[in-house]
Amino acid sequence: MPLGPPSSAIHIQPAVSPHLQNAPRTPTSITIHPVALFSILDHYLRRKDDQDRVIGTLLGTRTDTHVEVRTSFAVLHSETSEQVAVDMDYHRAMYELHHKVNPKEVIVGWYSTGSNLNTYSALIQNFYSQETAPHQAIHVSLDTGVEPGQPAGVKGYVSSPVGVFPKPENCVFVPVPVELRFRDSERSGVDLLTSTALSSSSTSSQPLSDLTILESSIQNVISMIDRVLTYVRAVLAGEAKGDAAIGRYLMDTLGASTDDLEKGGFNGRLQDTLMISYLANLVRAQAEVSSRLALVTAS
Amino acid sequence: MAAPSMAAALAASLPAPSAAPTPVAPTYEAIPPSMSTLIDVEAEIPLECVQLDGLVVSKILKHACDSSASSPIGLLLGIDLDGVLEVSNSFALPYHSGDDDDKSAKTVARYQASMLRSLKEVQGDDSIVGFYQASTLGAFFNQNLIDLQAIHQDKLRHSGVVVVHDVSQTARGNASFRAFRLTSAFQDAYKKSNFSTASLASHQLTFSSILEELPLKIHTNPLLSAFLGEFSSPSRNALGSSSGSAIPPSFSVLDLNSGGLTKNLEHIVDALDNYRNEEGNLAYLSRQIARERAKADNYVAKRKEESAARVAQGLAPLPEEDVTRLFKIPPEPSRLESMLQLGQVDAYAKSLAETTSTGLVKMYAATAGSGV
Repeated sequence: MPLGPPSSAIHIQPAVSPHLQNAPRTPTSITIHPVALFSILDHYLRRKDDQDRVIGTLLGTRTDTHVEVRTSFAVLHSETSEQVAVDMDYHRAMYELHHKVNPKEVIVGWYSTGSNLNTYSALIQNFYSQETAPHQAIHVSLDTGVEPGQPAGVKGYVSSPVGVFPKPENCVFVPVPVELRFRDSERSGVDLLTSTALSSSSTSSQPLSDLTILESSIQNVISMIDRVLTYVRAVLAGEAKGDAAIGRYLMDTLGASTDDLEKGGFNGRLQDTLMISYLANLVRAQAEVSSRLALVTAS
Repeated sequence: MAAPSMAAALAASLPAPSAAPTPVAPTYEAIPPSMSTLIDVEAEIPLECVQLDGLVVSKILKHACDSSASSPIGLLLGIDLDGVLEVSNSFALPYHSGDDDDKSAKTVARYQASMLRSLKEVQGDDSIVGFYQASTLGAFFNQNLIDLQAIHQDKLRHSGVVVVHDVSQTARGNASFRAFRLTSAFQDAYKKSNFSTASLASHQLTFSSILEELPLKIHTNPLLSAFLGEFSSPSRNALGSSSGSAIPPSFSVLDLNSGGLTKNLEHIVDALDNYRNEEGNLAYLSRQIARERAKADNYVAKRKEESAARVAQGLAPLPEEDVTRLFKIPPEPSRLESMLQLGQVDAYAKSLAETTSTGLVKMYAATAGSGV
């Protein structure tokens, strides 16, 4: 699931030769968790009026070629036309605090909103590379889409020194593909937020019962089946040209036989479910009665 | 005599101290009525609902996944505005297992203070409005939660709220958050630490009246909504073919598995066993109390008889003795634990009922097309 505006770049990594095995390899892909992105957006919302862009630290885990960004936190920084300053003490303190809660996460890089990469970015990248040594620091730039002409998206970079004499303020940012990934348990949270965002007042009330969610899912499936049905009818009536691949796929999917749901198995399962439902209601009634009895014996 | 005169001479030589500027009496302006709902200094507007920001939702979910603690706890930050408690940020509290209480309490306090300070510097909200707890299968009635909420209820304005998140329901596809507060009846009883049978009856306390639920809303700010909208719409590749969106719709809620049921049943059985143990202890203690009381009554009755007999014989009656010093009647045991256990049992049964109802619907839906 790529983020950001599409690019036609192809990412090539040279095959590693045996004697270079020990050197840390540059990361070839970055995955981001939604929490980190939302934190960055929140920080951008809260910035002071004179700050054009905000920066912060990314925490996560890394494997050989792959970096996974799990959390992010904001860092104080000020940027004028002459100089840039980053509050290192603040960064260390916040990293310590986060480390207490999640010992597995380490500093993997930094983020900034706004997509322009200038000398200051190079300097900050140099500073973060020192923090993540011997591995390379990644830089994620998040476009909030607030400025016209800039589509909203996330881009990731790794840096490499450029120039005859490598100086800290010169480096080349090499783009690295970024993907959004979430665990199954975070999945329903993202679904909830997406549906909240799409509703008219961007609020949704909780708690929704399981049945409501089930109902909306089933409605979704019904509308998908309707769409497929109109397409198939159009093809049969000769109005639309049918695609053989789609037809075969539909036949395989929808023709799956339900013979293994034969009467015996289904009824047994049904009876089990009904029994458990009855048991649950019984337990609840018992608990309620017992708590009331405790009140009665006193008087 | 020289000293005072020298002092006087010195004082005369110094420039006369300018009279201290009279303090300007502060003028009090009344808050205009249009702003009175926003500037609520005395916390007069009662809380009607709680509003969680999208960021808080994802942070709580992440902490619940990552943490190895049985019930991850964290703090909520925000502000209350016109009857709505807006929670804009949250952070997790580190978990200590096996530490003694003193040390871990201090570490947590230090962590909390430094976190608040750091957040303030990046213009985040830094007022604590409550705390959250993640639990499995809906069973969040434990002593820890009640203690923490009671402390918060005393110190925070609008008596902070607890947001409870159910991990197993989220795994089934329904991210669920609920907000609670302690009822005033329970608070009274808790302050007096008196949970005997008589006190329960007078406050009409059952497990369902410990906490009152507040309506909860989830709110995404416009920037977040725009971002999410961008990600969930399918994008077009530069080569002309369309690739999927970054967040495709998920249908995990239509899964037909029933794995959660056995765990739930096990939990119910365990909780019922605990409740029975607790009740057994209570019964034992109350029997002991009754025995001691009976012995004391017997003793008093015997002494009265003896006194009567001696009076009949013309001797002085025996002095009154303080019975309570002889027979120690243990105090009435607290029934809080058994009440909480019953609440757990009820919560497990409730989530079981919900699972089976959706399971029933799914089973019929799966066979809908085949005419079984």
